[in-house]
Amino acid sequence: MTVFVATLLFLAILLALLWLLFGSPTNETASSLDALQIENILPVNCRHFPQISQLLSQEDTQFMRKRTPHHVVNKWRAERRGILRQYLSGLAQDFARLQRLARLIAALSPKIRKGQELEWMWLALQFHASYRMVALKLAFGSFSPEGLAGLTEMIAGLTSELENRMALLAEHSPSRLRTDPGS
Amino acid sequence: MGLSFLNSVQWAATVFVELAVLLLALRRRLFWRLPFFTTYLCLLVLNEGILWVIYRFSGVNSYISFESYWTLQALLILARALAVYDICRALLTSYEGIWKMCRPLLILLAAILAVGATISTNNNAHHLATAILAGERGLELTVVGVLIFGLIFCRYYGVEIEHHVAWIVLGLGFYSAVQAASNTLFQYSVTRHFAVWQDFRHASFNIATIFWFVALWKPLPARQPAPVLLGQGEYDRLAPQMTLRLRELNTRLLEMWK
Repeated sequence: MTVFVATLLFLAILLALLWLLFGSPTNETASSLDALQIENILPVNCRHFPQISQLLSQEDTQFMRKRTPHHVVNKWRAERRGILRQYLSGLAQDFARLQRLARLIAALSPKIRKGQELEWMWLALQFHASYRMVALKLAFGSFSPEGLAGLTEMIAGLTSELENRMALLAEHSPSRLRTDPGS
Repeated sequence: MGLSFLNSVQWAATVFVELAVLLLALRRRLFWRLPFFTTYLCLLVLNEGILWVIYRFSGVNSYISFESYWTLQALLILARALAVYDICRALLTSYEGIWKMCRPLLILLAAILAVGATISTNNNAHHLATAILAGERGLELTVVGVLIFGLIFCRYYGVEIEHHVAWIVLGLGFYSAVQAASNTLFQYSVTRHFAVWQDFRHASFNIATIFWFVALWKPLPARQPAPVLLGQGEYDRLAPQMTLRLRELNTRLLEMWK
């Protein structure tokens, strides 16, 4: 038992250190803002919602049911679910971008509040948990397209707000933040 | 009784590597970046010199040697703890807000772990060797705990860790992890397996010095300019808006799930 505990302790510490030191970074480093472009931060996946919305239309479903054999409908549904899954994962990427911006603002601020930072961490945890559950629901086919539409609208609504904030960041640190890839 | 020939050779090799790392650190002017870590490297060499004199005049198995060894070990752990603080400061100090928030948390964590170490030592006070190992394990866990916590902050906020600092941290963390594990493994049997326990100790220390050697082998990169910070008002203005948005997003996702 002691051998097991000691080995586990050692491995846990070592793996944690290796991951924290040499693991691929989850987000761009705060000190490498020179390479940062607005396109890499703003939510992008939610912009594809019109196409997704078309994919979810009830008319298509009814048409397929009437005109095509059962096995083709099943295949079509499975493909549609796959696309929705990808889209949902894209929305999660958009959330991650927002979070990244929030961390960037914190990193570049001379004073930050513990409560605020803890709340952001908590919100991220909540989001990831809910996202997993929605993905699960999608996998079982019991998912309403209206829900996805609402989520998309919400993220899309953030875009203009984020653009303003990016402009503000660029104002404070113009050489470190590019709003145009060509500049 | 002095050291055996094999032990003397091992010791000489260790001193040679320690000295080489120290000289490399001085050549790379590491003192200006990580003063406590450089001081720790000096103390390592000094420690070997003091122990050599004590072993030579009072013998390896004397009470004076025992007391001196463990007193010096305690000082070295303290120096290592300061080196860890030094590293966290060097990594995060450019990000004023993060450092101001992180520092008290790191100190609090260190205090909690140190209290844990003290309790663990007191619980084993009936047997000297066991108590020493428990105490040392607690302190090593304090060192590595603070190190990992500091690195979590760096990762969360995307703070870049320079190559040489990463290898120095790996050396410190690896050594502390091995000590914590081997002290757990041999806590109640150290007197029977003293030689094996000592081999673990020496081998892990030598591996750590190799990591430090790797860290300092190439010239250190030029210092990165400190990032330009936003005005205080901007965080106060932007943070609540961001929170509100993220909160709304979560609520919507939760609604979808229900």
